[in-house]
Formats: sequence, structure tokens, C-alpha cells
Amino acid sequence: MSTMNCQNCQDSLILFIDNEIDDSAQFNEIAFHLQGCGLCRERMELERRTISIIRALLTRSCCETAPETLQERIAHQIHELESAQIAGFTQTEIITQYRRTEITIDGETQIEIETSREIRRDFPF
Amino acid sequence: MAITLEVMPTELSTPDASNTGALVRVDREKESAAERTKRFERDALQYMNQLYAAALRYTRNPDDAQDLVQDTYAKAYTSFHQFEPGTNLKAWLYRVLTTTFINTYRKDQRRPQSADGEIEDWQLADAANHTSDQGKSTEDVVLENLPDSDIKRALAEIPEEFRMAVYLADVEGFSYKEIADIVGVPTGTVMSRLHRGRKQLREKLTEYAKELGYVKGGAKS
Repeated sequence: MSTMNCQNCQDSLILFIDNEIDDSAQFNEIAFHLQGCGLCRERMELERRTISIIRALLTRSCCETAPETLQERIAHQIHELESAQIAGFTQTEIITQYRRTEITIDGETQIEIETSREIRRDFPF
Repeated sequence: MAITLEVMPTELSTPDASNTGALVRVDREKESAAERTKRFERDALQYMNQLYAAALRYTRNPDDAQDLVQDTYAKAYTSFHQFEPGTNLKAWLYRVLTTTFINTYRKDQRRPQSADGEIEDWQLADAANHTSDQGKSTEDVVLENLPDSDIKRALAEIPEEFRMAVYLADVEGFSYKEIADIVGVPTGTVMSRLHRGRKQLREKLTEYAKELGYVKGGAKS
């Protein structure tokens, strides 16, 4: 038995339009409701049109091409990184963590320092 | 200096039907540096224009956008052995781009907070309730006639989180799940940002159209 009413349908409209409803039963229920409900269908069409206009406008305007200088910079950089990899150049950073323990008994202080952890970081990764 | 990069392919490791390179079996263990470079150049560089356009939206500045794309390719190249061939390379590159932007370019800036906070438990009903007076076809036509510069300006003026979500969904066509992985937030947050971003964008565009006197109620007589 379908539990789809106008409220449930409208709650899911954007997901429906964005094709984000994975549950096929739920998808079918919405589609079925839309077929029979003019009000929800109208709302759906309105939302869909809004989204499709935004998509069309953005896609039309935001389509810059990377400048040639950038293409050259990237090509050059890749070759430098490759050469460094082939030559086995890696930059390694070693971080050492110490533990410092201070114990005071009867006015006498004992300090103990021990290496607790060493972390190696390599670049390139 | 140590650089940590969190671009391990996790949720993005879904088969990518559009990537024909998926059919080529790559043995990453035996691949030489030269072979890997060749594969990187063949597969990854084709997204340069798209990444640059996205970087322009993120940084809102051509110089920073170029630096961001260059850094993205450097990190992608040095992490390329972690990328699983046959999975979604475009989404992976966008993740590197976005992570680099968030970690490097935005670090020192004071992040502009979203004007009215963020709704995690987002209610889609909101969408339907607030747009019932919009979407008239004459207004649609007017919006379509707005110059590209106005569209870019409107996008640049909405909060960064919203801008990213709208761009990734409506220009690049990523799913909510993919955007969640690229940006590093839950899917519900993506939905909220996308919905509110579209709404704000639409409002700004309508505002510009009014300023230009294209829409009834504008300043021009």
C-alpha cells in the first residue's frame, strides 16, 4: 500500500529531479503520485526548470580554458618530479617524540627522558 | 617540509564507465616512473581546463587558480600510484583540487561564514514552499539573456560552500555521494548546500536582471 501523499512527494522532489533516489520502490511511488497529482506535477516542473536553467547558465559561462603558460608550467613540473623520482631523490622528515618524566620524592627530583616515537615522512609520497 | 595529503581513493573507487582507460590493465607494481608519467599525462592532463574553471570558482582569482591547478597536478602526480586505475579519475582529481584548496589556499583566510548557518537536518519541503512564485517562463527567458559576466559574478557572491556544491553538481554533474567524497562532508550537508546555493544563485540572478531592467519591478522605467 503506497504511503505517498503530496507532502512526502514534495519532500523528495529535488532528490527525484537530481536522480538521487536509489530505492526503486520509492522512485516508482513518486512517479506514480506525479502522474495522478496535477499540483505536485506542476511543482516538480517548476523546480526542474529552475535547476535546468541554472545548469545551462553555469555551463555556458564557466568554461574557461587553461592558459598556455599554465599548461607549460604543469608539463615542466611533471618532468621535474619524474626526474626526481627516477634519481630517487626524496625529502624525508623525521619527527622524534620524547617522553619526559619528572618524579620528585622527598625533595629529590629524578628526570627521565626516553624516545617514544619516530615518525618518517617522505616527499614525494 | 613535510606535506601530508589525504587523497587516498576510498569512496571514489567506483567504476567509471566514461573512462575508457579502465579497459587497460595496469600493473602498478611493475610500472616504471616513465610509464607512470605517460599514463598520467594521457589520463589526467585532459581535465586541465575543467580543473582550471573549477579553480577559478574556488579562488575567484586567475593567478591563484593557476597556482591551485599546478599544485593539484603536482600532488596528483606524486600520489598517482595510489589511484586505482579504472575508478573515477575525474572525481579523484577534483578531490585533490578541493583538498589542496581547503588546506592551502583557504588556511590563512578568514572563512566567510555562510550567511545564515547551515541546516544539517535539511527539509526538502523548504524547496517547494519558497519557490512557488518563481520560474515563470518570461523570467526564465530574461535570465537566459544575462551576460556570462553576471552569471559568474552571481556564483562568486554566494558563500563558498554553496558555490562548490552548485558547481560540482550542476556544471560537473557529480552525484551527491561523489560531492560528499570530494568535499569531505556528509551527503546530507551536500544536499543542504546545493539546495540553498541554487536558491541564492537564482535570487541573485533575478536581482541582476531587475537592475538591468529586464524584469518587472526593476529600477528602470
